[in-house]
Order: sequence, then structure tokens, then C-alpha cells
Amino acid sequence: MADKITLFVNGVEVEVESGKNLIDAVAAAGIEIPHLCYHPALGADGNCRMCLVGIEDGRPPLVPACKTPAQAGMKVLLDAAHIKKIQHDVMEFELINHPIDCPICDQAGECKLQDYYMTYHGQPSRMTVPQVQKSKKLDFGCGVVHDQERCVTCGRCVRFCRQITKTGELGIVNRSDQARVTIFPGRPLNNRYALNVVDLCPVGAMTSRDFRFQQRVWFLKKSPGICHGCSKGCNIVIDHHREKYADDRIYRFRPRLNLQVNGYFICDEGRLSYRRENEGRLTVARIGGQPAAVADALAACRDELQRAQKVVVLLSPSCSLEQMLAAREWAARHGAILSGFSDGYLKPGDGDGYLIQDDKSANRAGLLLLGIDCRRETFLAALAEAQLLINCDNELERSFPLEELQQLLMGIRTILATSHDSPCAATADIAVPVASFSEYDGAVVNCDGILQCFRKAVGKNEPLPDMADFIAALDGTAADRAGLFTALAALIPALAGQSADTVPAQGLKLNENEAAHVSA
Amino acid sequence: MSDRSHLIATGKPFQFDAERDAMFERLVVRYPTRESMILPSLWLVQEQEGWVSQEAIAYIADRIGTFASKVFEAATFYTMYHLRPMGRYHICICRTLSCWLRGKQEIVDYLRGELGLAPGEISEDGRFSLEEVECLGHCGTAPVVQINGEFYENMDVDKLKSLLATLV
Repeated sequence: MADKITLFVNGVEVEVESGKNLIDAVAAAGIEIPHLCYHPALGADGNCRMCLVGIEDGRPPLVPACKTPAQAGMKVLLDAAHIKKIQHDVMEFELINHPIDCPICDQAGECKLQDYYMTYHGQPSRMTVPQVQKSKKLDFGCGVVHDQERCVTCGRCVRFCRQITKTGELGIVNRSDQARVTIFPGRPLNNRYALNVVDLCPVGAMTSRDFRFQQRVWFLKKSPGICHGCSKGCNIVIDHHREKYADDRIYRFRPRLNLQVNGYFICDEGRLSYRRENEGRLTVARIGGQPAAVADALAACRDELQRAQKVVVLLSPSCSLEQMLAAREWAARHGAILSGFSDGYLKPGDGDGYLIQDDKSANRAGLLLLGIDCRRETFLAALAEAQLLINCDNELERSFPLEELQQLLMGIRTILATSHDSPCAATADIAVPVASFSEYDGAVVNCDGILQCFRKAVGKNEPLPDMADFIAALDGTAADRAGLFTALAALIPALAGQSADTVPAQGLKLNENEAAHVSA
Repeated sequence: MSDRSHLIATGKPFQFDAERDAMFERLVVRYPTRESMILPSLWLVQEQEGWVSQEAIAYIADRIGTFASKVFEAATFYTMYHLRPMGRYHICICRTLSCWLRGKQEIVDYLRGELGLAPGEISEDGRFSLEEVECLGHCGTAPVVQINGEFYENMDVDKLKSLLATLV
């Protein structure tokens, strides 16, 4: 924790963290210094001049707050007439050539220019000359569409591509009121984090082809979540909305700040993985390939269990810790063999050492933490003797080609509880739809051993059972979620005394040898 | 200020000739970082070709090992880099205070009337191009005209007329 220092804003004493610039320091105390170009991940550029403040210690009358480190005893002026005039005038400059197309602009509602206009300017334009015209729809690649007229040339996108992805596709060409962001011809955006420029853009100049014109942002309910696209467990905001007469639907994922995990950004693949939450879902149960009610399918599962002697339970490496524990306890009670075999989720060489990981599952560390066997040999050996396979959403078609999979499962009854329709769901003897990660509470452990809890974000009109419910239903009971978490807390020392609500927002770092404490 | 962001592609790959290649290697060691070579390289291109094409910018970026967008930025920021082919003789007429007071407009008007050449234009035969520029630093001998880098001082319409006759 950084040292606390005291400074004065408009004559009022404020305690802030030292070592930060003025914008960040006083923002933590709830005081906003308007800024467009500064972003904590990209550093101070000082080009927008919106953060000019006065500091009463003999220095020049105006200094950019983004470039000024907070110091003890500093007297910062924000509400003096000359500061307000500067803010007003800078806004007027920004708006000279800015199109007033807020009604059709995707950024409206979360636009810095809109907010600052209301706060710092709020007057009609005095301009009588025609506005400078620029390109309205430039395809920059990677699903980024750029409107040069809306741009305030803060350069955040340019700095992101140079500093973070180090690919440098974007530049600001020309000068004065002709300045504009563009790509070099034939060298479009080509990196796996490109869509972050859409979030970074303080105005509506950078838009995502995927989200453009899909939904007004003020309708979107913003729920925190954890991306399940790979083992990094990036923190996301799940923006979803239930339109009248329709079901709750996710419109986009956005990165959510967690300095311990993903920082300010997420990868494009993870960002677009929201589509998988909306599409291709299994929504009705199937018995022998025929649609059936979930309750009937669960009853059929219990019948299958009555008949089967040797049962193998296969877990998905993306299941939550609670679900894994429920499966582990169930398997122990019924003498079933439990496996977490999921080599198909690994994509060696795909990781990039930044956020993207080779492992495309959300909780493999959880499997290891709970001592669940993930080896191929043991899974195949168990399968060779098994009469019944209960597959908890493990996408086996990732690990085996379909034909080989059919060979493997020959003569084995299969129950598949899955959130998504797949070739396996089509051929399973019983398929039960379950909730996907945006629709349940849970905890996952990421590739760096950080345990994070997430909450149900999306409430479907017809809620599907959680995997833990499905496992409990195999015994004809209901899942005891609180009990599962208590059991987890007993197993994992770092969780001792915690509940799902008290796990810190940035996650709990488990010890290196945490897994060793957990008996299988 | 005009939009200079529409680069012209020649369709042919660009490369420094032997002389510029050697010059590049001589210059590059002078600077702490290779990126410092962006502006000198653009000059070398302009010396060689008379203007800077899209291919030349890509070539410089790759040669230096920087982003094409950075070279693109520099080339469009500085108006002395020509981003389109200019006339064989590129005439710069100073339009800053001293030259203006000493009659640069008469020279400009003459060129417009006689050659049909307005500032920013290239004559139809490709022989001349005209540009009004800011102070060239020869205020004591205003008005001053610069043709392909050569200075001509104390200019007037008659002097220019005889000068142009020698340029073919």
C-alpha cells in the first residue's frame, strides 16, 4: 500500500495516495479532473489540455494534472474562474468540428465528450463556418470501424497500438484541424487485442463492427463476470439486456479492471466469446435424440444409474470449483471414477505471454487443486471398462476426432450435461441442458493460481440448472451451494473463513503449494 | 492546411539508389535511435524521386525498423515533403512579411496569368509547379524565389521571366 499524503483541492483537505499523478490521486477521493487523452494504462500524453489545473505554489498558472505528480501540501485549484474558463474553452475547441450525431452514435450515454459538454460547456456552438469533413466509416481491420469526424485526436488508440500491442498500426496524420487517425494503406489493425481501442476511445470515433448499432448503452445492464475463454480468467463486464417480449441477451463483453489478473484489457477472442453465451445453446433435454422435459431426462438419468455398474464421471476444466467439488463428492459416494481429462482444451503455442493462454479452459487449476485425475491413460482405461459415462460439459470432440470418439464410446451409455449443442449432444443417450458461466455463481482458479468468484449475470426466462444442480439431481436432491462453498473453504486454506461474498474483488492468490494441502 | 493523408501508390517497389543507400548508412550511425532517420530518409527519397510515394514510406519504415504509421505521420505533418509528383522545376515563392511587402504577389500573379499556374498546382506539361511557402530566411533580399532548392533574390517579374526561359 502506498503512503498517504495530504493535499488541498479547492482549499479542502484531501488524503490521497502518493506516487500517482493528480488525476488518479484525487479521483480516488471522488474528485474528478476532466481528461480525454490520459489513461492510466497508457500514461500521460498531455495533448488534450482538458486536465489543466492551477497549483498555488508559484509555478505557471496552468499545469496539466496528468503530468503533475501529487505532492504533500499541494494546493490544487479546480473551481477558480480561470480554470473553469479553460475547461469551457477547451471543450469549445473540441466541439468545433465534432458532428452532433449523438442520436445515432454508439458511444452516446458513455461518451466523455457528452458528459464534459454537459458539465463544463453546455452552450450552443458559435461556429458559422462549415465543419471540416473527414471519413465517416473506415474499416481499420479486426472489426474496428473508425469515424474520423468524431475523433478528438487524443491518441489513446495510437498509444495502445504502440505501447501495449507493439504493433503500431495506427497513426495521427496531417496536422491542425485536418489531423486524423488512420492506418497506413495496406497495413490494417492486426493484433489480438485490437478491439480494446473501442473501449479506450473516450468518444464514439472507434466503434466495434460487432456492437455498432446493436443496442443503446443505457439499456444495458452491466454485470461483473469472469471470461471463460482461457485460463487467464480476465475480469469482464457482461453487458446484457432483456428486450420486451424477449429473453435476456448478452450484447458485449468489456474488460473490467483487475491489476492482479488482466489489467485494463482483454483479448478480442475473449471479448467476442459473448456470442457463445447467446448462440448454439442446448435449451431442451434430449432422450435418445428426441426432445424431452428436463425433469424426464433427469429421471431417465437415474434409471441409467440404477442399471450401470461401472460409471465414469468426466468433468470439464471450465466447471466452477463448486461444480467440481459436487462431482468429486458424488463420484466418491457412488464409487464412480472421476476424470478431468481435457487435453483438447490445450492449444500449444497459442498463448502470447500477455493475456492469451494456451489453455482454453477457465479452471484447470481447480481440477488440480481438487486432485482430480486429468491423465489421458487413466481416462481411457476407465472408459474401457465403463458402462456409463456421465459427461459434465467436457467437449470431448476437442480431444478426439469425431470418428475416434464414436469408437471410444461404442457400447457405453452416455449422459451429457452441457450448455451447448454439439455433435456429442446429438449422439448422447441423454442430453441435459445446463447453465453457462454467465448464468451461475461460482469460483475459478486461473493460470496464475488466483481464485476469483463470479456471480450470476444473466437471468434467462427459462433458467437452466447449474451443473451442481444436475449432479445433485442424479441423487434426486438439490444442490447445497452454501454447503459446497463451506466444503471448499475447508479444503483450501486460503479460503478459510471466507464466503463467496468476502473473497476480494481482485481475487485470492493461492499459495504455490496450495494444491499439496488438498487431499484427493 | 489540406488533407495530405491520401498517399499515391506507384505500383512499383521503391528502393534507394546506390548513392542514397550509402548516404542512409552514413547518417544512421549519427543518431541514438534508428527512428531518428525518419526525416532524413524522407529527404533522401524526395531527392531521389522528387516526391514521396506510398511504397517509399513503406520502404523507409521497413528499412529503419519502425511502424509505417510513424513515417506516414511525419510525411503528412511536414508540408515540405511532396506526396505527389511535382513539376520538373518546383518554384517556391516566399509569402511571409518582407517578401509580401516587396511584391511577391506580382510574381504570383504573373505566373498565374502567363503559365496558368496557381499556387499548389503543376503546369500541364509537368515543367513547373508552384507553391507559396513561409519565410525562407532571405528577408534582406526580398522577394525571394526558390527553384529546386536554389535561391533567387531581389526577384521581380522581368527577372523571373528571363530565368524561366533558361529552365527547360
